[in-house]
Amino acid sequence: MEFEFRFDIVWNNFPLLLEGIQTTILLSLLTMALGTVIGLFVAIVRLRARKIFALPLIIYVEVFRGTPGLIQIVWIYYCLPILTGLQLDALTSLVIAMALNVGSYLSEVFRAGIQGVDKGHIEAAAALGFKPGQITRRVVVPQAAYRMIPAIGNVFVSAIKLSSLCSVLGMAELMYQGQIIIANFFRPIEVFTVVAVIYLIMAYTTSLFMMYLEYKLAWVNREKVPFWQRFKQISQSAFQIKPQGGL
Amino acid sequence: MTAAVNIKNLHKSFGNLEVLKGIDLEVAQGEVVCILGPSGSGKSTLLRCINQLNSPAQGTVYINGDPIGFEPLENGDLKKANQTILARQRSRIGYVFQQFNLWPHRTVVGNVVEALRIVKKMNKANAEKIAIERITEVGLLDWKDEYPDTLSGGQQQRVAIARMLAMEPEVMLFDEPTSALDPERVGEVIEVMKELAEKGHTMILATHELNFARDTADRAIFIDEGVIVEQAPAQEFFNAPKSERLRSFLKRMSM
Repeated sequence: MEFEFRFDIVWNNFPLLLEGIQTTILLSLLTMALGTVIGLFVAIVRLRARKIFALPLIIYVEVFRGTPGLIQIVWIYYCLPILTGLQLDALTSLVIAMALNVGSYLSEVFRAGIQGVDKGHIEAAAALGFKPGQITRRVVVPQAAYRMIPAIGNVFVSAIKLSSLCSVLGMAELMYQGQIIIANFFRPIEVFTVVAVIYLIMAYTTSLFMMYLEYKLAWVNREKVPFWQRFKQISQSAFQIKPQGGL
Repeated sequence: MTAAVNIKNLHKSFGNLEVLKGIDLEVAQGEVVCILGPSGSGKSTLLRCINQLNSPAQGTVYINGDPIGFEPLENGDLKKANQTILARQRSRIGYVFQQFNLWPHRTVVGNVVEALRIVKKMNKANAEKIAIERITEVGLLDWKDEYPDTLSGGQQQRVAIARMLAMEPEVMLFDEPTSALDPERVGEVIEVMKELAEKGHTMILATHELNFARDTADRAIFIDEGVIVEQAPAQEFFNAPKSERLRSFLKRMSM
């Protein structure tokens, strides 16, 4: 018996997937935004504040990096209301859970990026009479931001895929909608294939956006090359010892 | 006339290691002082304590009579200065680093303009005018729009000097400015520093360049194990060293 692909079923139910895409994008964007805020806060406190304040944050980072995302989401969704009596709606509680997960990774990215700035560059500014805030704005942030972009992109792409776990709790995002179609038509291969391609498109769009950001922030864009050409350089640079441009 | 720099009983420790054990030093207006000594003797730490990149454990540094890192109260006591006051005080002291420390995200002009704009709050046109003048002085006008990582070490150090000069500091500190350079690049930086000395700037240099110290400095100071062992006018310092430690140091250095 030969297997017959029935992609027509997917196309016929595409409006369902479109709804899911909207929810996935909403979940992902909210998670990225809140995760960035959490990550920045944690990184700065860990770098600047006393050890006593940093310790709970270290525990937070290790717990959220070291446990499965699914358990985090389920736990915050079900357990937090039991423990605190705080009843949040599904979207809020899922976004909080995912943002805590994403924030734990991002905090390490930010911390490394800020620490990676040459101490000498900071001292040079201090010696010229810059105040601490001016040093942060004029010397640390421009250098750290540029170097952190690829790593931030990684975390953002993971965040999109992480959102698929919300289907377990009945959030009607892309994965959930796909599963509904599967349950109705028993066509998992076709549906999952299309869903995977949609995730890939969203992830790659994010990658492209981060690449564009990197291009825009690159202070050493001496050749003033257009983005598409720079994009080619970045894509190929994996095979070169020294990346072109950049640092 | 107040001394340009007056260092009183300066102490500094890192953990249990006492690096400076009570340094007293007065530098007159327009004087060029070279500090010599073996590595680890405290030369750099002394310079870093002058503009509070390291805060001294004890002792005070006065620049033209003003205590650095302190705010004089009306009753004559000294209060620890806040960041704003300290920043303003530091802007009066030029500092040139061994590792240049140019900002990689700014061009040559950008590096020089930055402090004029941010610290001195100059408008763009004025800041650029001054920057171009200083860059021309160190002979790098053709490189003004390049990024630091395309320049040689000697060129980078000259930009760093231009960046410092643009702020019109009252005192200039040089922390082994030629030690990180290729030997054939040392000369161009020495040249620039000689010009500055001739123009009458007050300079304190930690250096291993004995010839520069002998020819250009008004006074040479030998530091070892955190204390000033010997100091004398440069010629006398090199031609007739008194202490045994300096004699053996000079002998080792000229080998």
